[in-house]
Amino acid sequence: MWRNYLTVGIRALAKNRTYAFINILGLAIGMAACLMILLFVRYEMSYDSWIPHADDTYQFQSWYHDHVTGEEAQLQMTPFAAGEALKKDFPQVEQAVYAWNNNPVFFANGQATATKDYLFTAGNLLDVTELPLAAGNRADMGKVGNAAVSQAEAIRRFGTDQVVGKTLTLISKGQKWDFKIVAVMKDLPRNSHLRINALVNLDIHSFTAKEPQALTCWGCQNGWVYARLRPGADAKAIERQLPAWEKRNIPDQNSGEAHFNAGDDQDWHLVRLRDIHLGKAQGGAMSPGNDRTTIVTFAVIALLILGMAVVNFTNLATARASQRAREVALRKVLGATRRQLIAQFVGESIIVAVVAMVIALALVELLIRPFAAFLDADLKLTYFGSGGIALPVLLLVLIVGVLGGLYPAFFLSRFQPAQVLKANQSSAETPGSGRLRSVLVVGQFAVSIGLIICAAVIYAQTVYARTVDPGYRRDHILQVEELSRYQLIDKGEAIADQVRRIPGVDVVGLTTIGVATDNQNNTGVMVPGGSEPLTIGNYTVDEGFKDAMGLTLIAGRWFDPNRPMDDMTLPFPIEPETEKALAARGANIVINEFAAKRMGFKNPADAVGKSVRAALVENEYGLVPVTIVGVVRDSRFRSVKLPLDPILFQNANSGHSHMIVRFHGDPAAIRAAVERVWKGFTNEVPFTAKFSDDIVQELYKAEDARAKTFAAFAFLSVIVGCLGLFGLAAFTAERRTKEIGIRKVLGARVRDIVRLLVWQFSKPVIVANLIAWPIAWWVMRGWLNGFDTRISLGPTPFLLAGGLALAIAVATVAGHAIRVARSNPIHALRYE
Amino acid sequence: MLSMRELSRVYRTETVETTALDKIDLDIADGEFVAIMGPSGCGKSTLLNVLGMLDSPSSGSYVFDGVEVAGLPEAKLANIRKQNIGFIFQSFNLVDELSVRENVELALLYHDVAAAERRRRVDEVMDKVGIAHRARHRPSQLSGGQQQRVAVARALVGNPQLILADEPTGNLDTQHGEEVMKMIQALNREGSTIVMVTHSPAHADYAGRVVNMLDGKILIERRRAA
Repeated sequence: MWRNYLTVGIRALAKNRTYAFINILGLAIGMAACLMILLFVRYEMSYDSWIPHADDTYQFQSWYHDHVTGEEAQLQMTPFAAGEALKKDFPQVEQAVYAWNNNPVFFANGQATATKDYLFTAGNLLDVTELPLAAGNRADMGKVGNAAVSQAEAIRRFGTDQVVGKTLTLISKGQKWDFKIVAVMKDLPRNSHLRINALVNLDIHSFTAKEPQALTCWGCQNGWVYARLRPGADAKAIERQLPAWEKRNIPDQNSGEAHFNAGDDQDWHLVRLRDIHLGKAQGGAMSPGNDRTTIVTFAVIALLILGMAVVNFTNLATARASQRAREVALRKVLGATRRQLIAQFVGESIIVAVVAMVIALALVELLIRPFAAFLDADLKLTYFGSGGIALPVLLLVLIVGVLGGLYPAFFLSRFQPAQVLKANQSSAETPGSGRLRSVLVVGQFAVSIGLIICAAVIYAQTVYARTVDPGYRRDHILQVEELSRYQLIDKGEAIADQVRRIPGVDVVGLTTIGVATDNQNNTGVMVPGGSEPLTIGNYTVDEGFKDAMGLTLIAGRWFDPNRPMDDMTLPFPIEPETEKALAARGANIVINEFAAKRMGFKNPADAVGKSVRAALVENEYGLVPVTIVGVVRDSRFRSVKLPLDPILFQNANSGHSHMIVRFHGDPAAIRAAVERVWKGFTNEVPFTAKFSDDIVQELYKAEDARAKTFAAFAFLSVIVGCLGLFGLAAFTAERRTKEIGIRKVLGARVRDIVRLLVWQFSKPVIVANLIAWPIAWWVMRGWLNGFDTRISLGPTPFLLAGGLALAIAVATVAGHAIRVARSNPIHALRYE
Repeated sequence: MLSMRELSRVYRTETVETTALDKIDLDIADGEFVAIMGPSGCGKSTLLNVLGMLDSPSSGSYVFDGVEVAGLPEAKLANIRKQNIGFIFQSFNLVDELSVRENVELALLYHDVAAAERRRRVDEVMDKVGIAHRARHRPSQLSGGQQQRVAVARALVGNPQLILADEPTGNLDTQHGEEVMKMIQALNREGSTIVMVTHSPAHADYAGRVVNMLDGKILIERRRAA
């Protein structure tokens, strides 16, 4: 019996090549999309689940909620003090370790090279997160002065991974630190939020001896706290006690009239290791995370494409039901029950699904590597085992087969043999199926149009983000990093002076904020008459910064080297005397438009000459009275996703982290010349410099990849939708041969007939537009709201998508229409 | 074998009520060969469909082999049908995707017949109608007469008590028509009960009894002397 079904099924497919091609190709595309997204989703969900005790190990995070502005920022980082207090107050915490990345310099054979992902730890991180070792043992990392390196890093630095016992020399804070390598870690898989090439255990107290406030500061998020809870301990129970814990532990900071408490705007969260990658907090992450929305979106789109392919299947099966009607009737006459017929047609549908799956798997094999590289994910296609796709493949085949076959099966098995088997009725159109097909086609096109609109909007926004006026001149900037190293701490101006003399260099500025720099420094500002301090970004720059960056002054003036009150240079390390003197003397500052607005000034010019008080020295010395001497246009130094910063610029000759070099001419030559200057000052700090264009490109890389993935999926959905329409058009044209013949005999021209058919297929597309537009508008409005600066949602993408869908539909149908319309009516009429 | 009493079949649409069969009384005994004749639209095909349980009567009684079948649910009808009745159609109704052998075998697939037994019976019946040499061909590769023989073979293979033929020669030329009629006659002589709808008086002559219909009623019955 099943062999008979199989024979009929396969031969029916072979007979209708177009039909088989459309169904199988459509399903294969849908299935391949589903499988790739499945692999991607699984990969994203697998982050850190491989770490032993991943369920008992947590990252302690601090989440900001500005109680004045309502702005939020969720950080993965936590102050050192918070970790210590957590360990002290909760016996459920077995261990907690603070780790931070100070970007030390690797030093060997008199050569300094930059490091990547070197973690300093105050304790034994390997005991908290039991990373697999290739050599050595975990316990040894509990001792100060010991280090562990990854296999890859060992080979990179020492040429071998047999490095236990060797010495690792790092330079940090201008000092050389020697560590004894006691363990070699296996290289971490990509699906980990951890990025560790080396771990060193050092005494954080002596490391921060010159800046002891780093250990007691509750507002300084410079590292991560990892905590292992005792088995059975309830993290939620701890979290519930954290508000009270915060009140107990965080001291008030009083400076004159203002009372700060670092806990006012912070909440604390214990986040399981495996939840970090997709967690809400992505600020201060060791590696870029992902958000659940993106993943869910991709999954939904993949399912939509698959759904469209299934719809094609259903549509075509019912459309050509008349061709199978005779067989069904006959089988019924011969005694087939409805259940047997349903089994037969569902079985056929499963055969198609199997064939499609084979092609889909081939597609996945071909595409998985580029797809993985593109999404920067470590995707592997395995069939069996824990990450295997054998089961999903089987389920997909069954689900698609049953879903696609069930309606046609019920539909076909309903035929009354007495009506069908009458002579001359074999090709009659079966009533009722037409309406459902129209509904499904409308649905498919609505999905396609919706996805095209979304892709267009996302693409437009991505381009906009890259090209939007950032408020500074983004071209021709070379941004030099690492200026805040101890070795260079007071050499910034000297380096800048020499760089200025390089031919081709126009302006040089020193700063603590540049193109997409990580530095984020906020301070409290008291406005006369205000009761709460305002949080304003606070960055130290020099006189050259404005022109190097290309900022626009809109009121007042910029810093002037000849006015002593403009200068706020403070020695490092902190000297109480100069701090006190500055607090007494006051200084001049420049702010941006947004800061002026936040401080309550009606327009930028109003702000000039006004005084406010800002926390620019240690709190114990009080607020510094500062006078606003100029206002610059707002600049977006960071990603357009992030809100604009209100900024207060203070002018100083030292304490900068970046040098901005504005140049003309050959970029490579300029870079080389700047590097030569740099090398003249230090061989202990590697030269790190990037062009602004590259930085911006890197900044939006993830968004670009996402936009392109989205566009690719939208494109696939359009292909699948059009395949279906093509099939329907082919069958409709065939079925209406007689009608068209009669029309032609009665005098219809080719044009009339083409118009008739094209119009018939354009109607569902037009209806689909009406459905897709409001939905896409609503979804995209929500998406765009996630960007601080965004394109406005005009009619263009909607009209474009609608027009495109219509054009594709017409093009698809027109070919058939013309062929049928041109055929000689005599042929058509003779055969009926 | 079967008897119909006051059996009617009425088709209704919103505006029109068509009486296809109007209180028909008809008895058919085992081993009979009955031809049904009449102009287009007289209800011959409806009668045949009701006989074959492809259509249900609107009123009246239809007793088949001692069982009242009027008003039985479709599944039961399907079961009685597959065990007792074979069909031959004017347009052959062979499945294009299947070979001759597979088409014939199709009828047995819905009976619980073991594969070896199926093979034997299919061979036997193909031999009987003379298409054994064409077993591997597809219907589209055969002439009309050959196709109808396949259809006859398929109708026979289940050993039905009753064979219903709806204008079996309607799509055939004279020569092939005669061949098929001779075959049907031979079947009847071997004991099959046959009811055949036909337009051709010549072919009706093969039957032992001719029923003439008009407007849903039986007009005349004419028995040929055996």
